[in-house]
Amino acid sequence: MLRRTALSLLSGAAIAPLAGWRDAIAQAAPGRTLTYGQSTRVTALDPAQGAFATYPGGYEVGYCMFDRLVDFDADLRIVPGLATRWEVAADVMSVRFTLRKGVTFHDGTAFDAAAVKFNVERLMDRERTPTNRPLWDVVAGVEVVDAETVVVRTKAPFSQILNSFAHGSGSIVSPASVARHGEKGVAQNPVGAGPFMLESFVPGQEVVLKAFPGYWGGRPATERLAFKFIAEAATRVAALRTGSVDIVDSVPVQLVAGLRREAGIDVIARPGLRPLGLAINLSAAPFDDVRVRQALNHAVPVRQIAERVFFGFAKASDSPLAFDTQGYKRAGEYEFSPDKAKALLAQAGWTPGAGGKLQKGGQPLKLRMLASEGLFPGDVSIAEICQRAFQQVGIEAEIRKVEGGAYWGELRRERKALDFDVAFFGFNPSNASGLYHLESLFKSNADDNGKLDVWNIGRYRNARVDELLARANATPDLAGQNALLGEVQKIVWDEAPYVWLHVNENVTAVRKGVTGVEVWPIVFTIPRRAGA
Amino acid sequence: MTGFVLSRLARMPLIAFGVLTIIFAIFKAVPGDEAQMMAGATASQADIDLLRVRLGLDRPVLEQYATRMLGLLSGDLGYSSTFRGNPLPHILARLPATLALAASAILVTILVGIPAGVVAAARQGSAVDLAISFAVVALLAIPNFWLGLLLIFVLSVEWGLLPSFGFSGWASLAMPTAALSARLIALVARMTRGVVIEELAKDYVRTARAKGMGGGAVLTRHVLRNAMIPTVTVIGLQMGYLLGGSVVVERLFAWPGLGDLMVNAIGARDFTLVQAITVVFVLGFLAINLVVELLYAAINPRLRHG
Repeated sequence: MLRRTALSLLSGAAIAPLAGWRDAIAQAAPGRTLTYGQSTRVTALDPAQGAFATYPGGYEVGYCMFDRLVDFDADLRIVPGLATRWEVAADVMSVRFTLRKGVTFHDGTAFDAAAVKFNVERLMDRERTPTNRPLWDVVAGVEVVDAETVVVRTKAPFSQILNSFAHGSGSIVSPASVARHGEKGVAQNPVGAGPFMLESFVPGQEVVLKAFPGYWGGRPATERLAFKFIAEAATRVAALRTGSVDIVDSVPVQLVAGLRREAGIDVIARPGLRPLGLAINLSAAPFDDVRVRQALNHAVPVRQIAERVFFGFAKASDSPLAFDTQGYKRAGEYEFSPDKAKALLAQAGWTPGAGGKLQKGGQPLKLRMLASEGLFPGDVSIAEICQRAFQQVGIEAEIRKVEGGAYWGELRRERKALDFDVAFFGFNPSNASGLYHLESLFKSNADDNGKLDVWNIGRYRNARVDELLARANATPDLAGQNALLGEVQKIVWDEAPYVWLHVNENVTAVRKGVTGVEVWPIVFTIPRRAGA
Repeated sequence: MTGFVLSRLARMPLIAFGVLTIIFAIFKAVPGDEAQMMAGATASQADIDLLRVRLGLDRPVLEQYATRMLGLLSGDLGYSSTFRGNPLPHILARLPATLALAASAILVTILVGIPAGVVAAARQGSAVDLAISFAVVALLAIPNFWLGLLLIFVLSVEWGLLPSFGFSGWASLAMPTAALSARLIALVARMTRGVVIEELAKDYVRTARAKGMGGGAVLTRHVLRNAMIPTVTVIGLQMGYLLGGSVVVERLFAWPGLGDLMVNAIGARDFTLVQAITVVFVLGFLAINLVVELLYAAINPRLRHG
């Protein structure tokens, strides 16, 4: 301890004049600090212990200060990170990583196989890391082969293992820093091996990072990155227009047209990975009838919603997965046609009665819609458009709106307590894997009458889908995996356990001249390669 | 006097305790689960159940209540899911910003609102009075959020005079203060005008004038002093609005205070954080009330307590 203090004092004294000089340069050339006005606050920076706390804010900082064994590129392809090579075993039960040599953490300690083992074991511990469990529960153990080789074993075939390691929670923390600051101290004193290191951190307000001189990948394009929390969209955009920030995320689509006209600002728009839709409760008639569900899909003017509600910054879905998700394959299209909807409903026995309202045996066709308020973009407006669309084909549709904090609980109830026929929902597969997405939403629940296992809200159950998903998990090669996922997408799309809607675009804006800002489809704006 | 202050101070913890009990009851009655919010939108039921155990949400409600209150007594606020730990240092770090904004809004209110009201009353029916009354109506009608946006657009984006968000020096206080105090200035000006007009019609004013005292002296030495009691009451009451209004204004200006944190804590069902901020707000409010009562005594000796 004493020695460390003495050392840091010495080194501090040695570089102090230099640091002062560098600060002066930074002052003289303000372009060296890039400021990002974030829409979400950053409160904790530990990949374990609750994983960066906020999404996407904490993760965006995490991706700049930590490296992972493998990484995502801007298109969410897996690329080398702290591991230069990896081999997935034929049984998809283990992966062997060859680690990069000569890498050091920001605190000067060396990165090696023991550090990997330490980190993965932190993530495996459910008590210590209660979030992102679907990514880590499957890991059985880590074996250090030598200083530069580790083998990670899983309890079951798990072809998404690389996605877990590229996910933000797979960020590698310096074990020495955990020993120094304690398990609970990492969140405020994060030490990684990424291109930037922590300079200052005011939780919930501001994080400032500076370039890590010893980064294995070379010096970043900017000296400093400042992340400032600005909750209000109008304020974020104003801050960009005044030049006090260089990057802002989550630009409201209605402001984009105005920003595009400004000479000094560039707009970056990119579709997300979260398809929105209405999950149909398949438990009860008439929605257990596939014809009725398909009719609902034909009844809703999805393209109009994309164009009118989102000014074109949304695209009608053509698969249960979003367009940029790994394994996405186009599955089909439900043409907007009230006539087709009516014809399908007629086949199911629903015929127009008084005032065009559909009835069967004197009973009207009623639909109860559950909508969140402000949880998903445009949720209330879209629910109202859908209600009107359903009414136009003769369905009596009513909406119940629920505030965001209470909404998830409404969806997660036991089957007999479910209080809706359709419910607004969207899933963002944060590890970019289509397999993860399809499993979370369409794999059969262990008990259809109990609570949800993950997010199969409507109690969809198809043995063929379950089998294909299990096979995809045990298929090592990507092409083989994607073929299986393609089949799942087609089956699910046709069986319509959802009213499929659209995929929103995420909009980020930057000051002209700022380069290298990446907008990842998983709602992240990543400035780690940004420069000006 | 000292006894009065002490008894008021002694009451504070009791009132805070009562408010916390009510808030706890509301939190348990409102649907929504901190564990679900913390686990995130992609969590499985198993994850959520695990977090519920960890956060103690699986315990009987009365036990949770007892644990919280006993914890508070021993100075342990509990685990905040927002900060992944003890929220107290974060709250204390933000308190000065909220206090600075509230103090600056009150100061501006007093410096602008009271003189405006007095001038309007003294020149009742004149063009000045009319202009002030018009301004009062306008300021009362404009929502502070919209006024704030307008200020940002004109003063920051168009003219580049003031920083548009956050705290980067005292200039940063200007726009949030204006947005926050606009309504208060109007209320105080209107109240002051009404009271001063009323007082000016009273006998003692005629007496003072009859003994040869000048108009200005009558106004400042007699009328204003009597008019201050209702004005101080209004300002005191509006301090509550100030804490509530600061939520909107703090969010708009990305002000590093407690208001915006509170809103987010409610959305995240982070009861620990809500509870901690509530204690700060309640104690602050009670302290303001105490100051108001002491001011009464200073202004009017008849209101002095034994």
